Parts: sequence; C-alpha cells; structure tokens
Amino acid sequence: MWKSILYKEWLKIRWFAIIYAALGVLVVGNIFLKVQHDFEFSQAANYWYSILFQGNRFYEYSLFKFLPLVGALVIAMAQYFPETVNKRIKLTFHLPLNENKALLVMMFFGAFCLLAIAAVIMLLFTLLSLAYFPAEIIQSALISVVPWFLCGFVVYFLTALIVLEPVWKYRFLYLLVAATFVPIYLQTAAAGAYSPALPLLIVFGVLLSVALLFSGYRFRKGEM
Amino acid sequence: MVKFSRYILIFVAIIGLSILLPQFYRVAFEKSTRAPFIQYSCIDHDFMIFRSDADVKWTNSKGTKLTREVYEKKLPLMYTRQLVMNETMPDSINGQKINVQHTSTFRSTFRIKPDELHAPKPMLYPLFESQSGRANLEMPGNFFRITWRMEFIDAKTNNILEEKSRMFSAVLYKRGFKFPAKSINGIPTTRKSCDEGYLVIDSADQLFHIKMTKGVPFVRKVDLPEGMKFKTIQCVDFSDKLYYAYLFTENNELYVLTPYDYMLEKFDVDDINPDEYEIRIYGDYFNFNVITISNDFVRTQALNRDHNKVDEYMETRPTFEQQPEGKIAQFLFPAQLKMKDDNSSYVNFFLKISKSYSWLFTSLLLIVVQYFIIRQRKKKFRTEIIDLLIIGITGIFGFIAVNIFPNKFID
Repeated sequence: MWKSILYKEWLKIRWFAIIYAALGVLVVGNIFLKVQHDFEFSQAANYWYSILFQGNRFYEYSLFKFLPLVGALVIAMAQYFPETVNKRIKLTFHLPLNENKALLVMMFFGAFCLLAIAAVIMLLFTLLSLAYFPAEIIQSALISVVPWFLCGFVVYFLTALIVLEPVWKYRFLYLLVAATFVPIYLQTAAAGAYSPALPLLIVFGVLLSVALLFSGYRFRKGEM
Repeated sequence: MVKFSRYILIFVAIIGLSILLPQFYRVAFEKSTRAPFIQYSCIDHDFMIFRSDADVKWTNSKGTKLTREVYEKKLPLMYTRQLVMNETMPDSINGQKINVQHTSTFRSTFRIKPDELHAPKPMLYPLFESQSGRANLEMPGNFFRITWRMEFIDAKTNNILEEKSRMFSAVLYKRGFKFPAKSINGIPTTRKSCDEGYLVIDSADQLFHIKMTKGVPFVRKVDLPEGMKFKTIQCVDFSDKLYYAYLFTENNELYVLTPYDYMLEKFDVDDINPDEYEIRIYGDYFNFNVITISNDFVRTQALNRDHNKVDEYMETRPTFEQQPEGKIAQFLFPAQLKMKDDNSSYVNFFLKISKSYSWLFTSLLLIVVQYFIIRQRKKKFRTEIIDLLIIGITGIFGFIAVNIFPNKFID
C-alpha cells in the first residue's frame, strides 16, 4: 500500500522534479560558464580579489537564489493541487491507513525529492567551484547558498499547507504568514554572512515539516 | 501531533510577524536623527558643531549661532580649500606660520563602524611586493592564508605555491609565530601610496608585521605590553607616514603603531569601543579629533599632536525608543526581531526586547479581546488557555497568529 502511495506521488511530480533538476544543472553550469569567461577576461587573481574584497557574489548569477523557491513551489503545487480537485485527498483518507501517517509520507516523499535535487545541484556547484576557487571562497559561497535551498523546503511545506487548506480566507492568511517568514531565508548579504543564522533556519525548516497535518486535519474534519 | 503542528505554525507566524510588523512601523514612522559633526577648533579652542538637519546648522559648544563662513574659518585645517578659494585662509595659527601644502600632509581621516568589525572576513589576502621599484602597486597572482602554515595559492591554477609557502612559513616559525593566525590586518588594495604588508595576530596573541620585500619575507615581531589584546587593528595609509595602524584594544583603548621603531603610542582617550560605536578620527596639523558615535550620544575627544587630551565634548541624542514614535512602538510590540542589525554585517536573529513594559497593557487588552472571541465562538475556555498565554507573552504577534491558525476542532 505504501509503495503504491509513493508511486502515485512520483507520478504526480516526476516531470516537474526532472525539469527542476535539469534547470538547476543548467543554472549552475551557466554560473561557471560566466566564471570561466570572467577568469579569461579579468584574470584569475583579479576575479578572486573581486570576490574576496569587492562583494562579487558570483553564485547569485542566473537567479540561482530563486531557483529552489520556484522548484519547491512547482513540486508542491504538482503534488497537492490535484488532491484538492474534487477533494481527491479524501480517497487517501479512506484507505486503511493512518491518515496522519499517509499525509506525512506524501510530505516526506516530496521533501526527499527536493533534498535529492538539492544534493545534486549543490554537489555540482561544489565540484565546479573546486576547479576555480580555494576552500575559503567555496565555504562562504556554500554558506550563502544553503539558506536558499532551506527556503525551498520551507516554501514546499508552506505551499502544501496552503493548497490543502479547505477555506479560501485561511489560504490567504497562511499566504500572508508565508510572505512574512520566507524572506528570512533570502536576505541579501555578504558571502558567508548567514553562518550564525543557519542552525535556527534548519530547525525552522524541520519543524515546518509537520505543518501539513494542520490543513489535512481541517480538510478531514470537513471545515468549509 | 495535529495540535503540535498548529503550535509550530503559530510559532512560525510569530517569528515572521515580529520581524515584519515592527519593520513596517519603523519604515512608516521613524524620523531621521543625524549625528552632529563636532570638531575642535584650533582657533577658538572650543568645539564647533554642524547639525545638518537643524534650523540652526552651525554653532559652537555654547550654542552661539554662527554663519557658515565663520564656522569654516574656525576650522581652517578642515575647510582649507574653501578658505583658500575665499582668500580667507589665515597666514598663521597659534603663532605658527601656516604653509597650506605642508599642513595638508598632516591631515588624516579614519572611520570604522561596528558592522565592518562584525563581518565575515575574507581569510585570503594578496601579499604585495613592497619594494617592486615600480611607481604603482601591482596585484600579485597569488593569495595567502595563515592556517597551520603560511600558504600561497596561485589564482590561475588554484594550486599551492610550495616553495613560497615554505619560505614564508619557515621565517614566521623562526620569529616565534604560533600558527594559525587569529587576525590578518592590512590594506589589501593596489590603490594606496605604498605597501606595508600586514599586521598579524597569531594564536598566542602576539603581533607580527609581515611583508614581502624583493620577493623575500620581512617578518618583525612587535613587543606588546603583557596581556594586551586587540578588538581590531586598522592599518592606515596617511600622507604623513607617521603610523602603520590604529589599534583598538579589548579594554577600549586606542593606540597607534609607529613605523621603523614599532612603538605603540597610546592616545589619551577612553571608551573607544568599535564593537558598539562608530569611531572617526580626524587628524590635522594641531589636533586629533577622536569621535565616538552611538545611537544615544556623540562624543568628541580632542588631542594634541602628542596624543594628550586637550578637551572633550559630548552630546546626547534621543534614540528611537525615547522618541514618541518609539514609545508607541514599545506599547504595541513586546519585541522586535531583525535579521540584520546596524552593528553587524551578519544575518542572524537579532532580538530586541522592548525596554518599557507598556506592551504588557496591549497584551492584557488582547487577552480580553480573545476572551470575547472565545465566548462568541462558544468554545471551551479550558482548551484556549495556551492561546491566551501565547498572547500574554508575545502580544500582538501572538494574537494575530492564534487567530490565523484557528483552534477549531482541535480540542
């Protein structure tokens, strides 16, 4: 039964997940194409200098910052919107399974896909960085990039909450809450500046992983 | 579990609202208060004050209103170009003949703000050739780090330059340097008059001067008084070439390091805390003005060229919390959460709890409102106690949060 649920979730999001991963690879590729170009035209030492002392945030090129947000939003919509059409989610609730567990499995499957895609993109980013930059530059770039991927998880959890919420008024209010919370992951700052905030940002992301249960419960209880 | 998910969502909403609402409020109602510019006059031996946002812009410390022209004449070494243009530059000051070119050599400006101190450090630095024989400095092709040894990394190949690394590390080791470096301080730019390398604090809090002359290491240990530690060392490139750096100690003292003889000379000033205050140091032919600017005061300590204090002047200024808008904010919000702070370049959760307890009144009022909402919804009071507690502690943030995520069904 669980396998079937996972397969159903995969069927819903597979194309979006593949497109997100492919886009991620393209964006990272494009960033390093630009790095290679700038190495050629500005000379390596000057390029390092611009990163170390002039605030050149090479990793922000190609809107990399917003990629995890958009990817997570699309995957969450693909996964949960079909469940709200004709209230299909109720079919899952009628299965001989624990309802909360079923919702959490759906959620963790989506989160796992996001994690896998994030791992691929981050790995590619790190490997390509190793060809051009020393550890200090890579480390501060990664500290700056990690919150964007954490933002992806937060957006995914909050989108699931909003989409499954049965009442439009509350959907709007949840959206407002998301709008106040999500920007804390997307602050414009110097490379490596996010280091003190990272532990709490991770904790918040983990805590939000059970947020869907709230909407799910209201859906089950027939809140209108 | 569902109940738990609701409280998580309330918590998240409180976090988001405690960032956004006070921020909106400040953007809408905060009024700019610019720090006055206070300089010691070598003519009047009094402080001259310029307030850019006041009706009476130029005064002295007694409050006497001055015209702009008179104000500038009182600070001839600050407004030299204007006075020369107006042909009102004095020939002599305090009995000393003034040569404009000569006096301008002694003019220096330095500024540091707390957010420059509390910022991610680059950890890699370029080591310039300090005696290249060229008029201009050139960017080297490699950068160094000082970890378990001094390593030079070639930017083009991203590989370590072994020979150079070994040579510098060996000299540092011989001079008693204890790896790794705690802080590396220099002026890593080619836009300076000459290169004097870096002042480096090692892991044993010893101070070293490191530079490269004709391709070989120059390493000199600087003798420090017992137990002296620094908050920051700021290298300077002033035209008088009298100092290598301003050194700010842990106990808020200010020193300068002289070139060649490596003497530490103390400025006769106190409470120089770059962790919390913006520090500005203006030097001229007669005086140094050491200015500390915080949210609630501006203080200028005037020194003579022997670094002895001549006079000082301080003015308090109202903080946001002391202004009517700030008082209302403290009434509305129990705290403000910020991801960025004026005193830091890091992104973090900066929590500022309201100093006054007036927000408790708002919380109490909101608890009463919530009580009526509960009664109107005909819900059991017992099941809503936690919500009321949340409102009591987090005020308006909690009130909005518990009502956005309704407690319906979850009893």
